[in-house]
Amino acid sequence: MNAKKKVPIIEGLFTWPTEDPRIIVSRCRKCGTVAFPKRPFCPSPDCEKVRENVEEIELSKRGTLWTYSYQIYPPPAPFKYEPFQPFAIGMVDFPEGIRMLGIITRMENLKLGMQMETIVGKLYEDEENEYITWMWKPID
Amino acid sequence: MKNREVAIVGVGLHPWGVWPDKSQPEMAVEAISNALKDAKMSWREIEFIGAGSPLWVADREGVNSCLSGTAIEALMGGIGVPVISTANACATGQAVLSAACLAVASGEYDVALAVSADKSAGGFFRPQSQDDKFDLDYQRYVMTGETNPAYWAMEMTRRMHDVGTTEDDLALVKVVTSKAAPYNPYARYKKAFTKEQVLNSAMVCDPLRLYEICATSDGAGAVIVTSLDKAKKYTDKPVLIEGVAVGTASFGDQTIPLYNLSAFPRPGVPMLTESRNSIAAVYKMAKAQYHRNCPEDIDIIELPDNSSWHYFVYLDCILDLEPGEAEKMLRRGDTDPVDGKIPVCPSGGLGGSGEAVAAQGLFQLYSCVKQLREEAGEGQVKKDVKVALAQTYGYAGNNAACIMSRAW
Repeated sequence: MNAKKKVPIIEGLFTWPTEDPRIIVSRCRKCGTVAFPKRPFCPSPDCEKVRENVEEIELSKRGTLWTYSYQIYPPPAPFKYEPFQPFAIGMVDFPEGIRMLGIITRMENLKLGMQMETIVGKLYEDEENEYITWMWKPID
Repeated sequence: MKNREVAIVGVGLHPWGVWPDKSQPEMAVEAISNALKDAKMSWREIEFIGAGSPLWVADREGVNSCLSGTAIEALMGGIGVPVISTANACATGQAVLSAACLAVASGEYDVALAVSADKSAGGFFRPQSQDDKFDLDYQRYVMTGETNPAYWAMEMTRRMHDVGTTEDDLALVKVVTSKAAPYNPYARYKKAFTKEQVLNSAMVCDPLRLYEICATSDGAGAVIVTSLDKAKKYTDKPVLIEGVAVGTASFGDQTIPLYNLSAFPRPGVPMLTESRNSIAAVYKMAKAQYHRNCPEDIDIIELPDNSSWHYFVYLDCILDLEPGEAEKMLRRGDTDPVDGKIPVCPSGGLGGSGEAVAAQGLFQLYSCVKQLREEAGEGQVKKDVKVALAQTYGYAGNNAACIMSRAW
């Protein structure tokens, strides 16, 4: 039996398909402000709203865990995670200066300041596909 | 306010709770009727209406939620006055008060109404569209499953790491604020909690437990303002508006505000800037016109205790505290809602009633007005209340605050 195809729940937020997925962000060529999801204009109030000043880049693979919590109860639809298991969720700081939200791949032994790696993980599947999002994998 | 001073002459609420058989405009009409009665005023005397619009339009009443003021005015009986409906999330109550006050302060109108109803009850909030291209809230939610309490819990984890807040402190917030809830006739949970009850409640988003997070509720509120010179016609105890303002976030804020997926923290920019900006704005207004020295002059505070985390960070914000000082104040009893040095949430707070988002600011204003007039019955704080401050929460970078004082 062939493995199911892995499909991002929403396209265009991270590089896919690839062995080494990265978060796709926008960066201002003038001031360096990074934003996710990518924006048409630089969000700094001091930058001109010129589309050409904003470029698309991929974030570094690793960041630092700023903080985290656990979602013990299933969030209602439209969030889908099947079968539901309590999960950890965290904010990760990347070298580009952006703080990012994401699901963490495990609940145990999390420490503020630890290194986290960008990967993809499955939230649910149907007969044809597995549906994936980005996740943070702790590096011990 | 500049140009013309403005005072509150009537306040009214619909009780907080779960009201599946009433529409939002229906609840608003009950609140307005109570406010009109309080001001001994007739409906036809209202000249301008600022109405709050709930955010959860897909779930609740559709157009009635967006065009809230139009629906409410129609149910009261059309009187043809200007009606502005506005959605400012948690800040909506004070935002519509701000609109009503500016209408009167300008001199264009003498009597204005701020009203809002919201049926928020029903658990975790969720996105209102399925637009995966442009609805940031939808993107955030389906890709990360971040609920509101998960966000608050992440910030609480960080604060515990930085400041040393303990699990006992988190429980103590509920114990202390719930002391006042039994005295509030409009509260949903008229019950004082013990620390054991709080610590034994279910863990929702570690470290926040069920009783450390406010419920979602239905509710409605109405506040009537007039020019100060006209106020005496309606009441012996007009409540002066010294300052009311909406705040928005500053670029470079440290946190990832709800419904966003990222932040770009900049050095020197704090967290919750929308809340710090609204507080700075009302302190400036009160100082410029009334030589008010804030926060020292504030006697009571209604703050948004959506969770125990909020209680600490909003004390920081309002009182400009050093890290950890809010926890010490709570432990010392300084913030006791009845006999504290600076009573916090004498209404019983959001913990005692749950949050009816768009109406919550009006719930807070009602409490402040009752305390200033010494009409809070058993819930009247022990100290003399001359100046009151109410501040809302700041979902999506929306916040609002108001400073009120006795004008008699």
